Amino acid sequence: MSESVLDLAERALGQATGEAQATVTRERSLVSRFARSTPTQATGVDDTSVSILRVHDGHTGAAGTNELSDDGLRDVAARADAAARAAAAAAGEPGEYPGLPEPAPARAHDGFDAATAALDPAVAGAALAAAFAVCAERDLEAFGIWTAGVVETAIASSAGVRARDAVTDAYMKVVARDAAGRTGWAADAAVAAGALDPEAIARRAAAKVTSAEPVELAPGEYPVVLEADAVGTLLDFLGALAFNGLAHAEGRGALDGRLGTRVAASSINLSDSPRFARTLPRAFDLEGVPKNPIPLIQDGVAHRVVHDTRSAARAGGGARSTGHAVAPGGSGFGPHPANLVLIGGGAADETELAAPIDRGLYVTRFWYVNAAHEKRTLLTGMTRDGTFLIEDGRITRPVRDVRFTDSALRILEATEALSARQRLVADAAFYGRRFATGVVCPALRAGGFRITGQTI
Amino acid sequence: MILDLLTDLMAKAEGRCAYAEARHVEHREEALAVRAGTVDDFAASSAEGIGVRVRVGGGWGFAATRDVSAAGAEAALAQALAIAEAQPAGAATPLTPVHPARGHWASPHEVDPFDVSLEDKLALLFAAEAALRTGDERVVRSLAALRAWRERKALASTDGAACTQELVATGGGIAAWASDGSELQMRSYPLAHGGLFAAAGWEHVLALDLAAHAPRVAEEAVELLTAPQCPEGVTTVVLDGEQLALQIHESIGHALELDRMLLQEASYAGTSWVLPGDLGSLRYGSEQLNIIADATLPGALGSFGWDDEGVAARRFALIEGGVLRGALSNRESAAAVGLERSGACARADGFARQPIVRMTNVSIEPGGAGSLEDLIADTDEGLYLETNRSWSIDDRRLQFQFGTEIGREIRGGRLGRLVRNPSYAGITPRFWGSLDAVCGAGEWRLWGLTNCGKGEPGQIMSVSHGAAPARFRDVQVGVA
Repeated sequence: MSESVLDLAERALGQATGEAQATVTRERSLVSRFARSTPTQATGVDDTSVSILRVHDGHTGAAGTNELSDDGLRDVAARADAAARAAAAAAGEPGEYPGLPEPAPARAHDGFDAATAALDPAVAGAALAAAFAVCAERDLEAFGIWTAGVVETAIASSAGVRARDAVTDAYMKVVARDAAGRTGWAADAAVAAGALDPEAIARRAAAKVTSAEPVELAPGEYPVVLEADAVGTLLDFLGALAFNGLAHAEGRGALDGRLGTRVAASSINLSDSPRFARTLPRAFDLEGVPKNPIPLIQDGVAHRVVHDTRSAARAGGGARSTGHAVAPGGSGFGPHPANLVLIGGGAADETELAAPIDRGLYVTRFWYVNAAHEKRTLLTGMTRDGTFLIEDGRITRPVRDVRFTDSALRILEATEALSARQRLVADAAFYGRRFATGVVCPALRAGGFRITGQTI
Repeated sequence: MILDLLTDLMAKAEGRCAYAEARHVEHREEALAVRAGTVDDFAASSAEGIGVRVRVGGGWGFAATRDVSAAGAEAALAQALAIAEAQPAGAATPLTPVHPARGHWASPHEVDPFDVSLEDKLALLFAAEAALRTGDERVVRSLAALRAWRERKALASTDGAACTQELVATGGGIAAWASDGSELQMRSYPLAHGGLFAAAGWEHVLALDLAAHAPRVAEEAVELLTAPQCPEGVTTVVLDGEQLALQIHESIGHALELDRMLLQEASYAGTSWVLPGDLGSLRYGSEQLNIIADATLPGALGSFGWDDEGVAARRFALIEGGVLRGALSNRESAAAVGLERSGACARADGFARQPIVRMTNVSIEPGGAGSLEDLIADTDEGLYLETNRSWSIDDRRLQFQFGTEIGREIRGGRLGRLVRNPSYAGITPRFWGSLDAVCGAGEWRLWGLTNCGKGEPGQIMSVSHGAAPARFRDVQVGVA
C-alpha cells in the first residue's frame, strides 16, 4: 500500500528542524482535448510534490521537490532552512511573519467523488463522442475539453497542524462552430464527472450558433445582460483587485477606504463560501487554516477583505487569517477568495433579464480580460462565442465580438436584476499544479456597459 | 543513464503505436524577492519526471509520471497508450520527416546562477530595493526580485531521436507602486511583470544594474500620480522596445502559430485571422516590417538545439517587407498544410505537459531610423509609450488594447511632459500597416518574457523577442 499524503507530510516534517510546515500535494488528472470533432491531445498526469516552509526569527524560506526519498526530503528541508536563515541574516532584524497557525478543526465537505477519482479514460472518450454527435446533427464542428482530476493535500507543521483533504473536480466545455466561423459556447463544472451531461452541454453550445450575419455595434454605453460565465470572470478579478488583504493593507486595493460603504447595488450579496451548494469545496487553505464562509459585500456594502497569515500581519489591528492562503506561508501576491458566491435574484432566466432592454448587448462569456487600472477595478477584454443584440426586449441577432473597458465594481453598482439560478463557473486552465476553483453566480442585467472597440 | 532508459522505452513502444517519444525533464528553480527591507519571497524548487507521448491511429495519448525508473516509464507508456486508445477514432494524419536528433546542446552562460551564494543575491536585492524607498511616503510598495532556473532534458523517439539539452536562465527586476489614496501608479525596470530574463548566467543580472535605476523608477511612479490623463484621440505613437516586443508577441507571434490557423486551439487560445493559404502573399504590415523566427539566437529564452519533437532549431523569415512568408509549426501542423519540414516550434512546459506549437524567438529586424533620439527628433507630435502595464487581444489576434506604465508627449521632435494611464488600441494589419520607422541595430535588444500561456492543461513558456523602438501613425490612444 502506498504511503498516504499525511504520512508523507509527517516524514517530510521529520527532516526539518525548528518551526516548519510540510505540505504535500498529489495530483492525478486527465484532460482530453478536441478540435474539429476529432480528439487532438489527451494528457494524464500523476505527480506528488512536497514543499517545506521554514520559519526563522520571523523570516520564511521555502523549498519544494517531487523527489520523495528521505534524501530528497532531507535536501529540500536543508534548502528551506538555508533560505530562512539567509533571509534573517540579510534583514538583520526579526521579520513580520507571526508564526505558523495553530491547529484548528476543519469541517467536512462533500467535494470528493470516488467514481471521478478513478479517472477512466473511457468516460472522456464517451463524452467527446456525445459532443461530436450533437454538433454533427447541425453540421457544426465541436471543439473543447473534458477533464477530471483528484487532488490530495496534506499539511503537517511544528505548530501541531495535521490535516488532509481530498477533492475531485470535473469540467467540460464545448465550442460549436459552423463553416463560416460563427461559434457558440457552453461549459459545466462539478465535483463529480457523473454530474456533467456532455450532450446537454453540446446542445447549449450549438444553440448559440445562428445563421444570421453578425451586426456591428458602435462604441458607447449599453444596457447588458451577462450570462453567469461572464459574471464569474468579473467576480474572479474582483477577488484579486478588491478583496486581496495584502493589496488592501498596502493601499493598493480597490476597497481601500471604502469598507463599510456602498460599492454595489443593494441586490449584490457576495461571499466566499467554501461549502455552498455547487461550489468546489476545500477544508483548509495552504497554511492549514480552516475555510469558513466570509461575507464580502452585503446588500451592496463592502464588508471585508480576505487574509492569509502574512497579509493579516501586514494589516495589523488584530487582523487574522481568514483561511485564504494560496501558498504555504502566504503568497507574495496576497490571499485570494477561491469560493466566491454571488446570491441570485428574482429573474427567471436570461430571457426575463433582457425583457426591459430596448437596445442592448447580450454576452455569453468574456475573453482575455486584463486589469487596465487595478485600484479602479477597470478591466478590458473581449466578448466571445455568443454575443447578441437585445432589441425590444428580445435576444435577436448575433453581434460581432466587442471590446469592453469598464469597472467591475461599477457594473455591480449598475446591476438592476439577477437571475434566480446560479451556476458554477470555472475555466479549468490549470497552469502548474491542478487547483480547481470556481465562482457560483447568476446572470445579471446592468446599465451603462462600456464598449470601446470591435473586432473585424 | 536516463537517455538509455528512454531509448530502451522507445524500443518497447515500437509496434504498439505509430509513433512515440519520451522526455525526461529535470527542472530546478530559485526565486527571491525583497520588499520593504525584508525578504518577501524565498523559494527553491525542483521537479523531475518523464512524459511519454504516443500516437495510435489518429489519436494522441500522453502520460506523465514522477517515477523515473524503468518501471515508472513503462507504466507511463502503458497509460499513454490506454488514453490514446480510449479516444474516439480519428483519421491518421502525416508528420513531416525529421532527421534524428543526436548529441547535446547547452545554452551559453558565464557564471552559473546556482553557484552564486544566497548572501550575494540578497545583497544585490536589498541594495536595489532600498534605493526604491526614496523617503516619499507615497511609495506604498517597493519590490526587487530575481529568478533563476536550470532545465535539463533528454529526448528519445521512435523516429530515432536520442539527445540531451541544458538551459540556464536568469533575470530580475524592480518595481515601485505609488498612491495618494485615490490614484495608484507603478513603474518597473527593466521590464514589467517580474523583470528581464535571458538564457544567461549571473552576469546578466549584474548587467541590469538594478540599484542604479531604482531612484528614477520610484520618482516616476510618484510623478505619475499628478500627471495628466493620457488624452483620447488619434496620434503618432512611438513604442519602446519592451512594449514593441509584447506587441510582436501578441499580434504577430500568436497569430502565426499554425495550429491556431488550423483551428486546433479554437476552444481556448483561439484561432487566427491568418489562414494557411495566406502564406507567401498576405500583406501583414508596411514595408518596414521584417520579422524573423530564430531558435538559434544566443541568450534568448526560445533557443534550443532541438525542439521537443527532436527537430533541429531553425531560423526563418515570418514576414519580409510586410509580406507573410512563414508560420510557426510542429511536425503535424506543417504536414497538414503541405510544408516539407516542421518549423521546429514544438515545445513543452516541464515533464508533465506535451509539446504544442509555441513561439521561438520572434523578432523584428532593426530598421533605418537610427537611435531613439533620432526617431523622436523626427517626430513632430505624438506619444512615446514605455513599459507594458496591461494587454488584451481578441481570439483571432485582430483587435487589441494595450496599456503602458508611462507615456511622454512628443512635441516638435522633443519629449515633453508625462501622461498617466496611457493606452492604445488597433486592428493588427492596420496597425502594422501604419509602421513607418524602426530604430537601428544600436537600439535593438532581446526582451525575455516568461509568462506566455497556452494549451490545456495550461503551459507557461518563456521566449525572447528582439525589438527596437518603432513609430506608428494614426493610432487610437487614450481608450482606457
